[in-house]
Amino acid sequence: MTWQKLLRHETILALLTVLALVVLASQSDKFFTLDNLLNQGRLMTEVGLIAVIMTFVIITGGIDLSVGSILGLVAVLLGVFWKNMGLPLPVAIGLGLMVGTLAGLINGLIITRFRVPPLIATLGTLALYRGIAEGISEARSVRGYPDWFFVLGQGQFWGVPVQLWILGVVTLVAAIILGTTVWGRGVYAVGHNETAARFSGLQADRIKLAIYAASGFAAALAAVIFVSRVSTTRSDMGTGIELDAITAVVLGGTSIFGGRGTIIGTILGLILIQALKNGLSLAGIKSDGTIVLIGAVLILTILLSNLFHRNGNR
Amino acid sequence: MLRTSLAVLAILSLSTSLVQAQSAWTGGDDLPTSPLACDGTPATPVAKPYDGGMTTNAPDRNGKPITVVDVPKLIGIGYFDATSKGIAEAAAELGNMTATTDGPTEANIDDQITLIDNYITKGVDGILFAANDPVAIAPVLKKALAAGINVVGYDANSEPDARQWFVNQAEFNGIAKSLIDSLVAETGADASFAIVTSTFTTPNQARWIAEMAAYAAACHPGLKWLETVEAQEDNILSFNQANTLINKYGDDLKGIVGMTSVATPAAADAVTQAGKCGSIAVVGLATPNAMKPYVASDCVKSVVLWNPVDLGYVAAHVLRAVADGTLKPGDTTVKAGKLGELSVINGSEILVGAPFVFNKGNIEGFDF
Repeated sequence: MTWQKLLRHETILALLTVLALVVLASQSDKFFTLDNLLNQGRLMTEVGLIAVIMTFVIITGGIDLSVGSILGLVAVLLGVFWKNMGLPLPVAIGLGLMVGTLAGLINGLIITRFRVPPLIATLGTLALYRGIAEGISEARSVRGYPDWFFVLGQGQFWGVPVQLWILGVVTLVAAIILGTTVWGRGVYAVGHNETAARFSGLQADRIKLAIYAASGFAAALAAVIFVSRVSTTRSDMGTGIELDAITAVVLGGTSIFGGRGTIIGTILGLILIQALKNGLSLAGIKSDGTIVLIGAVLILTILLSNLFHRNGNR
Repeated sequence: MLRTSLAVLAILSLSTSLVQAQSAWTGGDDLPTSPLACDGTPATPVAKPYDGGMTTNAPDRNGKPITVVDVPKLIGIGYFDATSKGIAEAAAELGNMTATTDGPTEANIDDQITLIDNYITKGVDGILFAANDPVAIAPVLKKALAAGINVVGYDANSEPDARQWFVNQAEFNGIAKSLIDSLVAETGADASFAIVTSTFTTPNQARWIAEMAAYAAACHPGLKWLETVEAQEDNILSFNQANTLINKYGDDLKGIVGMTSVATPAAADAVTQAGKCGSIAVVGLATPNAMKPYVASDCVKSVVLWNPVDLGYVAAHVLRAVADGTLKPGDTTVKAGKLGELSVINGSEILVGAPFVFNKGNIEGFDF
């Protein structure tokens, strides 16, 4: 094992995260308690679900800016399906997840069929989906969901918030697919050099379609959990969540140019950001100071990583 | 495949929008309205039992120093600067209360929930809040009550059982009457007008718009509402939206009503720049400092508001009274320092006072 390998981005990030946890724990005795940590896990689930799939998207050299709008659209539809159309709630949830996946699939189709750059395609659907959400909701929120529905966003299972289990399962499946399967290798190949991947017989378009559809699904799942957590639907839900997710992915060492990145890196990035937000607030730093610090940490981490890898394994 | 997917999505959105209920004016809510009498005869208050929440195992805080966090909708705007000034003033006067203000940098419900959650973990004695969404904020406030923290709202309410008391700056029907009466005084009773609001779901604005629609229908049936537009409490967006209204309706537009302290000055600015002062009336809710230039130039004749410094001041006093145990469910009045005895309305709300109309004659006397 060489010195270079030891200083992989994920290792640096893990060290930074531990350092942050130790420093934050010393600033407030409320930080490193089980209650607080589990609660923070609850709060980061929605961003987490989106970020895990966003890792795939960015590894293929793409980006999905529309996830926040898909979240808003599905949240609104969930309420409309259930309240206004009178469907049973489980059916409404199923339909919501389908619409989210469909919205992601449309992103994928625009990108692969018409060769529109992902940034522009999803910038367009970012506005489009949010507009549809606002149009449908007519700014009315739907409330009064049955109690069993709140288990998803506010309940616990074996002492751990329910949605954290969901995030855990999604993360595990994603990590296995990306890290150990042939299909996962294909994702890296497409991101590294799409032309070469095509000539090697990989169906790059199919891979991308599947990934964008999955991204839509993740956003839809996040929407259901979000609605359950806050117990109401609003068309402005999830505004800006795409940037939180992308920040976590990039902090986790995924190259924005594609071809490089891991799920574990993304999870570390998520944890570091959530820990900073929470810990700094507990230490008495106000929210405007916190966002400044998170920006600084992002740039610093990337700089550090680049410093060690200037002539390394990139 | 793309075409089918798009078609499915389009059909879905069309079919769902058809089943939505319609209200009188866009941006209003569905709650029942209670318009005031046209001549201003005060309505008789209806007695209602306490409907606020209760803390669980709150320690005895009577007379003891307490730490309080104030979480407004967002920080960095004049209005909430004024409320936190009032809170600080009351805290200094009381002497046994430390109050800090910390809010999201945008009026975002998720950030606000997270922030409050962090303060519950940190362990404060009291939380003052102005909700970005009445329902979405309820679970986290109930969590605070369950942790023994005293919770008092001001400016924008939550569901009643998620907090103990709510300090109401002015009753919705009172504000609605002031706004519509000011508008009609300038444009006449048969004019067309448009509304610039924050978002259609913002609780206060939605309530006011619903009450305005009800009051106008009862007292000024000739008044013609054209459209309500959203402007997110954003300066530039508010200006652009007002500008669009001016261009879209041309001479038909006789008045613009601004529903937020950001939208009203922006609308006044748009009307001034379009050279329409005098032909388009601007009335609305705003802080006096932002409106002084337009009132001085006669472009705006009346600005409706309450005093936000007083609002924060009362909120802090109410929180202290709850912590001390001197304000209990069933009480009909509460003492609020220099403002004296205030009355309890609607079960668990404290009314600060009647709305105030600023005009050329009195606006120079206010600085906030």
